[in-house]
Amino acid sequence: MRDDGSFDPDRTGTRRTRWRGLLGVSVVRLWRRATGTSSRRLVATVGAVALTIALLVVITGVALGLADGGTLDDDDADVRIEPEESESLSAVDGVEGTRLGSANERAATIADEDGVDHASPVLVEPVELESADGEDAKRVLLVGVVPDGEPRTVAGLPADELESGDAHYANGSYDGPRQDEIVLSSAAANALAAEDGDELSPSTAHVPEGLPSPSITVNAVEDAGDGDDETPVALVHLSELQTLSGADNGELADRVLVWSDDDADEAAVAASESAYPDAAVEPIDRTNPSALFGDSLAFATSLLALLVGVVICASFVATTAGMTVNEDRRTLAVLESVGYTTRSRLSIVAVSTLLTTLLGALVGVVLGIGGIYAVNAIAAATVAPGAVAAVHPIFVPYALVVALIAGLVATPYPLVVAARTSVLQEVGR
Amino acid sequence: MSTHLPRQTTTPDGQPSTDADRRVAVRFSDVTHEYGSSGRGDDRTVTALRDVSFDVRAGEIVGLEGPSGSGKSTILHAVSGLLVPAEGSIELHGTDLTALSDAERTRLRRRHVGIVFQRFHLLPSLSARANVALPLVQAGVPRKTRRERAESLLEEVGLGDRITHLPGELSGGERQRVAIARALVTDPDVIVADEPTGELDTATGASVLELLTDIGRDRAMVVASHDDETLAVADRVVTLRDGRVVVNEG
Repeated sequence: MRDDGSFDPDRTGTRRTRWRGLLGVSVVRLWRRATGTSSRRLVATVGAVALTIALLVVITGVALGLADGGTLDDDDADVRIEPEESESLSAVDGVEGTRLGSANERAATIADEDGVDHASPVLVEPVELESADGEDAKRVLLVGVVPDGEPRTVAGLPADELESGDAHYANGSYDGPRQDEIVLSSAAANALAAEDGDELSPSTAHVPEGLPSPSITVNAVEDAGDGDDETPVALVHLSELQTLSGADNGELADRVLVWSDDDADEAAVAASESAYPDAAVEPIDRTNPSALFGDSLAFATSLLALLVGVVICASFVATTAGMTVNEDRRTLAVLESVGYTTRSRLSIVAVSTLLTTLLGALVGVVLGIGGIYAVNAIAAATVAPGAVAAVHPIFVPYALVVALIAGLVATPYPLVVAARTSVLQEVGR
Repeated sequence: MSTHLPRQTTTPDGQPSTDADRRVAVRFSDVTHEYGSSGRGDDRTVTALRDVSFDVRAGEIVGLEGPSGSGKSTILHAVSGLLVPAEGSIELHGTDLTALSDAERTRLRRRHVGIVFQRFHLLPSLSARANVALPLVQAGVPRKTRRERAESLLEEVGLGDRITHLPGELSGGERQRVAIARALVTDPDVIVADEPTGELDTATGASVLELLTDIGRDRAMVVASHDDETLAVADRVVTLRDGRVVVNEG
């Protein structure tokens, strides 16, 4: 059928170059539309996807902000050292987990290393406190720390409200002068009906035999950092709590917090690992998305945002892509008339739909991250003491994957519209 | 402007072919087709073709004339494999289109049939070169070869300086030339043209006709038109009335 000098496309064609070519045709058409005058439908699709994804990113950011640890985990340290097998603090239910030994001494060693600003063991003990007038005793989570006079947050409370240092420790003899100071959270103060300057004392059951019951002065009442007004916590000097709880024998602590000098997190981690080779040394990532799974409200919020995002995004994409394909019927008919198979034509529609969705998602991520900063600015200026939403780099792939899923959910509709195109009706016009 | 598209037709022993040697490129045998039948029995149907039989040989230009609704476009669509008639057979170089699957007809069309529409039907968002190369994408031809082939054809139809222009930036005559180059890009054996000068002024239409007759010199070409000047380039004109062939003469 062919002449010797004729062009035979089947002789040079391959499947791979065909798919590459189809992708190229889809991209070029989209690009020309995006930059041309007839881009209103494309702009509508991209805009709708972008707004949905931006909303998803903002809500997920707020959820992540919500999930940023409980009160006891609310500190501003850079590295956290915990016993390897300890999964949670045991103080809440009174069952003691594994604790770190020689905590005071080793924390002091860590604090002396280059790149380390401060290190403090943290001991958490539930202790019944009663006010001086003998009111009902209330159980409060006492958190023992070694303050250094710098503004640091432990258990959501400012450690610098306590006298700097830990004089009672006295190099491990536990016979130094006691400070007998306490910083109460608002919840603890409410429970004990205590305020600044009041005297509190542990219930006699908590005081080891042979020791006088100490009288502790309330140095300050503060809101716990994340606005938690339900957990009654209080800060005291570490050695005094260790003496009270019997943890002085072995210098026990639940964890050691390490604050590094600026940009010296790695040095702080190295110093911590050197002091505690068998413990879990974790640099603290304050916006770790895995925190979402530990907070039911935050998890529910982000899950709802995800579902709503996928559904709305898919609906927008399906509708606008369906309308676009409807306008594109003649193009599809022309492609069929020049020999494009059904699979190739539908591939062009699917690729165009997914590319448009991804384009919208990219715009949406930018808008969403901008939105988080806006929410934080508004919150800081009105109701919240600090940031209410957090940004994490994983938001970018997360948003793209969500948009891709929405695009895949939406694609069948434009494909059905495309498959119903009658070439004879279109080219015959 | 060079509009000559050389395509030597030779016999297997290398001698120039004669009319007697020319193979039948398209053969309609007792083709009948109806539109509008949905199979539910209560719809009115329109018979587009009734017992239509004719041949088109390689190198021959056959004109189709007749009033609107006489079946001209239906014949073109049937030759292209875009529709399958209810009865009869249509052979393209000996292959019965009615016996093929949709996918096989699509492949045969891409390889052996070039279509020129009255309204050009170029993709507005693609350049002239990309429009011409469009059928080669489906054939899987590498990009470089596609570009070279498309540029060479655009040169041959006199649009060497319009390669990167979008259809919206071209005149009607130029668009039809791009469409003709697209129809030729797979080097098809059969060209079908539906009112190829219908949207063009007289002078532009004449130059497009000259181009068409040039490319039709060694291919089989079927041209449907109401226009006497267009039909005048045909070697033979088939006249249709109500779906029947009433005249079939050179």
